[in-house]
Amino acid sequence: MRTSLSQKKGPTGRLNARGRGATNPFEEFKSFTYAKADFHIPLDQIVQSTEVVMDQIRHGYEKLLEEEAKELVWMVQYNTIIKAYEVAEKYVREIDYSAEDIEDFCFALENTQKIPYLIPGPAGVYISALCNYAKEEEISLKLSELKTEINLIGFRLPKGKRLVIEGDAGDFTGIGLEGGELVVEGNAKNWTGAGMRGGKILIRKNIGLHTGEWMMGGEIYVGGRVRGLGNIVEGKVFERDKLVYPGKIHHPNLYY
Amino acid sequence: MFNVEKNGYQKQVMEIYEFINDHLYFNRPDIEIKGEQFNSAILLSLLTGLEKGKELIIGEPGLGKTTSAEFVCSLIYQFPLGLIWGSEVSGHPEQTEEKIIGRPDLGKLNRGEEDVVWTNFSQIPVKIVDEINRLPETKQSMILDGVDRGNWEYLNEMIINDEYCLFATANYQDGGTNTIIAPLVDRFDVMAESRYPGAHLAFLIGKAKRKDHILRHPKSERDLYRVLKSKIGYEKKIPKLEEICNAFGEYVYEALGIKPLRRQDRDQIRSEMESLEMDLDASAYTRMLLTEFSFCERYGQKRVVENCEEGCHYTGYLCHEIKNCASNRLPTSIRQYAQGLAWLLGDSEIDMEHVQSILPYTLAHRVQWKDEILSQRERAKRDDPFPIFLAKEAVRTISQRFREQSEHLKDALAIGSRIFQGERLEPLEGDHPVYVEIRKDIHARRP
Repeated sequence: MRTSLSQKKGPTGRLNARGRGATNPFEEFKSFTYAKADFHIPLDQIVQSTEVVMDQIRHGYEKLLEEEAKELVWMVQYNTIIKAYEVAEKYVREIDYSAEDIEDFCFALENTQKIPYLIPGPAGVYISALCNYAKEEEISLKLSELKTEINLIGFRLPKGKRLVIEGDAGDFTGIGLEGGELVVEGNAKNWTGAGMRGGKILIRKNIGLHTGEWMMGGEIYVGGRVRGLGNIVEGKVFERDKLVYPGKIHHPNLYY
Repeated sequence: MFNVEKNGYQKQVMEIYEFINDHLYFNRPDIEIKGEQFNSAILLSLLTGLEKGKELIIGEPGLGKTTSAEFVCSLIYQFPLGLIWGSEVSGHPEQTEEKIIGRPDLGKLNRGEEDVVWTNFSQIPVKIVDEINRLPETKQSMILDGVDRGNWEYLNEMIINDEYCLFATANYQDGGTNTIIAPLVDRFDVMAESRYPGAHLAFLIGKAKRKDHILRHPKSERDLYRVLKSKIGYEKKIPKLEEICNAFGEYVYEALGIKPLRRQDRDQIRSEMESLEMDLDASAYTRMLLTEFSFCERYGQKRVVENCEEGCHYTGYLCHEIKNCASNRLPTSIRQYAQGLAWLLGDSEIDMEHVQSILPYTLAHRVQWKDEILSQRERAKRDDPFPIFLAKEAVRTISQRFREQSEHLKDALAIGSRIFQGERLEPLEGDHPVYVEIRKDIHARRP
């Protein structure tokens, strides 16, 4: 019995509308049962889950602003900072995030319409809380592209944590440091390390005035120039590997 | 050394591997598969012999390219070394068709009759071409054409080999070499390097006596020569050759304790290998790989004369790094050698690891990388020759991508199958060119 080529069936045994045998190139997968009811592209799933986390982080920041900075004027006083930090802690503790999300948040602060305003003070407190409660022991934030320098980065960084900032940091960097290691791969402004109790701050480039004001312990290493030291109680400050505090003569707030 | 449970043939082949590795071809293992270590040159030569494949062996002069193939062929096909040496084609620019395939029978020609005296090379199943890149391209093409089809033609006469394999060696480029042009290179199933064994093993090789005499057998060699040059028809020569080969096999078994493979053993092994199928992961993975080596969103497929557009969405995939398109011989080589490897390891299916292990050797000689990729990576620290290194890197990259989306890809393929069976479903989307190819197949064939 002859079978013409045009009547030959494909492996599936089906004929298509034109009567031509269609080889099913996916035949071997016909018995593969997929588990999911609805399908997502893996990249979509990653983006979706990142957005959920980012929404939570953003919500916490907005709440902090509502409670602490309604007037858009934020006074840097130690009590204000502590209060703001407690509020930030409250929201941050409930979020499951990673170090990458913190970095994304830093950029979202500048680049998205969803966050109403970037206030360097509260933003820094909030970012510090995120860093202090992150699962990772070492966190690296690439902030060199940010137009605004964020204040208060590294606030209360606890022992065992290492925070590396790629770019410049603003005022009050690493204040109240609690044993962690803070590295700024750029410049830091005034009041760096104020009130720190222990740990290490490493500034690769220059540092501003009042460095180490009311510092109670720990070490500050500056790769560039120190514009001025604060009233240091305890601890050490190095400028280009040279110990400048405690030195022979104490020059509070003097220009070098 | 080998723990997997194997049937008699697998054990027999593995013993051949170990015998060559321990006594004839000293080298370091350079490939690990399922916890077992192998030397790629011996392993791929064994698979080439068993699978009737075509292997290109590269390497520096004097590092055992030809001898490794000779030892493997001697034990897989039961030919004494003397006959193999007398059947090899050596590559040089003056090589002729008459020395490679056959010549006119001059005695008969004087009597006004035409007949062909076939060369040993064209008659025996083991075909070794030494330094193929010293042959002019026309002669390379002639050999590869013959090996592709198993037909050898001269003066309107033809002999057909129903069992054959090809080993060709090539030195690196120097003043005396021609290139092996891309269409010819593509006909090789795999490429392996016969490497330097390291100073200490090389020292042992220098210290030891020549080992090749153990696979010599002058009587069998004379008998085989006599049959090969006899005037009887080629089909009638085959059983006579087999008879002598079996006798040589018996001798090897008695003298060395190694049992070479008889014709029926090889046939049985091949049918066992052919029954092995790829599991779904291996199949999906191979599809993903083939896509990256052939896909072009802009021009429909890779073509060596067309360049990628700037700003293409698929810039991150391998299609952006290569110039040519994978040929249809590539999947055949992958399947064939992965089947052989799975069989040798006693596995019931071809899985990802078999495919991943074989892939670099099937890709290395076939892929034409863009110049910028070559210049970016040529100074990278590596242990392999540059083409094999690049192929291994490519396989690693695709494996990573596959791990990230294997379930999604299998879902997409399953849905593709269901659409072909007539269900009204939408093909799955995904961030890889393979999903575009699935969609193309569905659109091309859906009524």
